[in-house]
Amino acid sequence: MKKRGKGVGIIFYGTGYGNGFPDISKAEAELQDDGKVAIYVGATEVGQGAKTVMTQIAAEALGLKVEDIIFINEDTMVTPDSGTAAASRQSYNTGNAIKKAAEALKALIVDKAVDKMKLNTNIGLKVENGNVFVKTFPSRKISFKEIAEDYKENPLKVEEEFIAQTTEMDEETGQGAPYWPYTFSACGVEIEVDTETGIVEVIDGVLAQDVGKALNPKLVEGQMEGGFAMGMGYGIFENLNLKKGKMKNNSFTNYIIPTALDMPDIKNVIVEDPESTAPYGAKGIGEPVMIPVAPAILNAIHDAIGVRITETPVTPDKILKALK
Amino acid sequence: MKIKEVIKAKDLNEALLSLDKYRDKSKLIAGGTDIVIDLKHKKVLPEVLIDISDVEELSQIKIEESYVEIGAAVTFTKIEKSKKLDNRLKGLKEASRLVGSPQIRNLGTIGGNICNVSPAADTVPPLLALDSIAVVMSVEGKREVPLQELFLDKGKIDLKENELLHSIKFSKLQKNQALGFSKLGLRKALAISRIATSVCIEIDEDNRCKEIRIGSGALGKYGLREKSTEDFIRDKILDENFIEESARFLKSEIEKRLEGRSSKEFKSEAVMGTFKKAIREAIQLIKA
Repeated sequence: MKKRGKGVGIIFYGTGYGNGFPDISKAEAELQDDGKVAIYVGATEVGQGAKTVMTQIAAEALGLKVEDIIFINEDTMVTPDSGTAAASRQSYNTGNAIKKAAEALKALIVDKAVDKMKLNTNIGLKVENGNVFVKTFPSRKISFKEIAEDYKENPLKVEEEFIAQTTEMDEETGQGAPYWPYTFSACGVEIEVDTETGIVEVIDGVLAQDVGKALNPKLVEGQMEGGFAMGMGYGIFENLNLKKGKMKNNSFTNYIIPTALDMPDIKNVIVEDPESTAPYGAKGIGEPVMIPVAPAILNAIHDAIGVRITETPVTPDKILKALK
Repeated sequence: MKIKEVIKAKDLNEALLSLDKYRDKSKLIAGGTDIVIDLKHKKVLPEVLIDISDVEELSQIKIEESYVEIGAAVTFTKIEKSKKLDNRLKGLKEASRLVGSPQIRNLGTIGGNICNVSPAADTVPPLLALDSIAVVMSVEGKREVPLQELFLDKGKIDLKENELLHSIKFSKLQKNQALGFSKLGLRKALAISRIATSVCIEIDEDNRCKEIRIGSGALGKYGLREKSTEDFIRDKILDENFIEESARFLKSEIEKRLEGRSSKEFKSEAVMGTFKKAIREAIQLIKA
């Protein structure tokens, strides 16, 4: 017999290293000969879209097109330390460092423009599309490229860092502010349990994610769908099968992860509430997107068959045993 | 040892002559979905690979007067999509459709599925339920043997060094006969069968079971017939109560077979589910 059930999971998650641990990202911005700007960060692209979003942040801060940002990362010989692509921290931490570096370089370029254009002050200047101009007299302008000509030997370059604010928890009382910022998410699923074979099928899902501000909504949705699949795999498929400390399921032949056929069409809800300390309001969501999924599925299983399962993954053998 | 030669056989004769010449130094390759992995892991170390994937004679589905013959190099995709195989054979098409992924089904062959003698081979339970005959060939000639008798042990097939599986034959199904199939995999694609059950039945107007054959996968060292359960069901009227009773009978059979194995509790329970799905599907196909 097939029995259906619905379940919800709700979570909040502190992003960053937290608990007072120094959480530092560095970024460099450098004006190129051709007027483009190179950004150097030690942030790693692991498929989450860091390169795209961080390029967007730099372009926005400098008033340039994304094509005019040369984004250099992952090469530790030429990039400063931006910390790990972990703890859902890159958009927030390294994003902030890039924004600071880009803004500092922009201020430096404006100063140089004031000298070159022989102006009295930097008040009332605007930077747009690689030009610095007087807002009330736009023909009085100079391009990034023209400014760069004076610095061919020694390009204009700035380095900035961003340090997240967290404090260590008191070991005795557990009091403190271990993380900042926090991210919130909620998931709802409908599942179907085959009571004869123990197979659980996730037939519908909705995932709502607080993102602060979505810098790139399509990428956010990509992370949400990926997170849903990971959470679902964790909930009903993935099993290392440790025997005496050894992984028996040590390849993707038997370490089962969801395929496209196992994934339901999920509805993504992006919740925006800009975070004041974040670059353009964006918070990290890499991990949060997967956390509420397995609890939602386990709750739905309880709703369907009336049995509370407390161990993941909920494989067919566990369901049949629970039903006995 | 390294592969010294790959022979791309143009016809059956060339394949048989090559096999006769190189014997245990050679391995046949059709789709390669299993042997390529074995080669990579150095589980098999042939000097010569004989590629039979383009041998026309081995790649055909033939519908004769009284029987169906499927060449050993026919792919799962071809079986799944074949219009020659009618809906009463849905169990075989379904088993083919549930193999691995589209890429594997486009290359993998029914002959390879049989000759690897994997306990979980998807197409073996329906072929057993169809009481299939294996056609085996060598330069010396042809022999026909019941499929079940080819299986010696897990991974071991009863073929001589110069023999190949040519095709598989089974009687055409009549109006009151049909083949059902149910597979329990841990996900919807790329899933190795935890249990597969195929049921071929013949029933009369009163739902009385005139004949039944049940093929099981992943419940033994290789695909098996469930003969005592078949005897239990034969000549009985297949109503819902009796199907439940039959499922419990099969369960007790599987419990005996898997005694001492950690999978016993789960598989003996879940086989009732796959059995009921397969037999209900067969009954529905006949009624349709």
